[in-house]
Amino acid sequence: MKFSWRLFLGIGFFYALITAVYAKLSSEIIGSLALLLSTLLAILLGFYFWFIDRRIVGYLPEDNLEGEIADRAGELGFFSPHSWWPLLVGFFMTLAGLGVLLGWWLTIMAVAGLLISIFGFVMQYQKDKSSY
Amino acid sequence: MNTLSETNSQTAETRPNLVAVGTIVWLSSELMFFAALFAMYFTVRQVSGPATWLESTERLNIPFSSLNTTVLVLSSVTCQLGVFAAERFQPRRTGSILQINKWGMREWFALTFLMGAFFIGGQVFEYAHLAIEGITLSGSAYGSVFYITTGFHGMHVTGGLIAFLIVLIRSSYAKKYSHDQATTAIVVSYYWHFVDVVWVALFASIYLIK
Repeated sequence: MKFSWRLFLGIGFFYALITAVYAKLSSEIIGSLALLLSTLLAILLGFYFWFIDRRIVGYLPEDNLEGEIADRAGELGFFSPHSWWPLLVGFFMTLAGLGVLLGWWLTIMAVAGLLISIFGFVMQYQKDKSSY
Repeated sequence: MNTLSETNSQTAETRPNLVAVGTIVWLSSELMFFAALFAMYFTVRQVSGPATWLESTERLNIPFSSLNTTVLVLSSVTCQLGVFAAERFQPRRTGSILQINKWGMREWFALTFLMGAFFIGGQVFEYAHLAIEGITLSGSAYGSVFYITTGFHGMHVTGGLIAFLIVLIRSSYAKKYSHDQATTAIVVSYYWHFVDVVWVALFASIYLIK
């Protein structure tokens, strides 16, 4: 993570500089605000990567100049092999958006479907294993 | 150079949690979404001139919205206390409900949920009053930007409330409080803190800088 946080904090400082120059020269709030929030975007990521870099034990293979691809092997996390739920979430989200054009009744119905599909999506692997 | 393989066990964190990193990357993009809303607010404000703004901002109920803001900021504190419980892998309280120092993640998150719901209720109350006083979404430029900025924030808070419900339901499904559960609690807290910070910025721009 060493490279990651240095990269993002570097971008953040660059944006901060640009923000200061732009705000001084243009004395206009909207662009300055957009640049300021871009600065915060980069600093948020940079700070978070610095924070995890400090917390993890040892260092990652990508920070090691002698690192090999195989050093990255191991468990990365849990990935769903197959799921229909995201499709349903997208479908109901589309209906909810269409409802703004066609009539709010459609949005209200779609939000109900959206809630059901979101709950299905996040709960699909939550069944207690001992129950089946 | 073998520090990684030597410490590669289940308990020590040897690599970043993908869910947490993904959440932060997504939140940084959310920041740009709110940047667009702030830009819209200040553009309309600059174009329509100080007179319109003065007339409309007079009707804002500052004491009430300050109370609402305080509740939302405090809910970030209770959320963080819930995360500390989640990091101890403690889903439920070990003492009676009055012993706050023995609360688990569920009690803290349920309290956070109630405080967030109070905030949304307060916002609905405030909207109702403003609508009676003639500030509506389609009525004026001020009404449009006021409802769009605070409304999108309110939708984010509502989404956060649903996320808290999901965390609470998931933790009741699981027989054992796992790393997975703790990760969910932590990323929901990241989101909640983010929404809270955005509100403080919105509150400052809309209610305080008149």
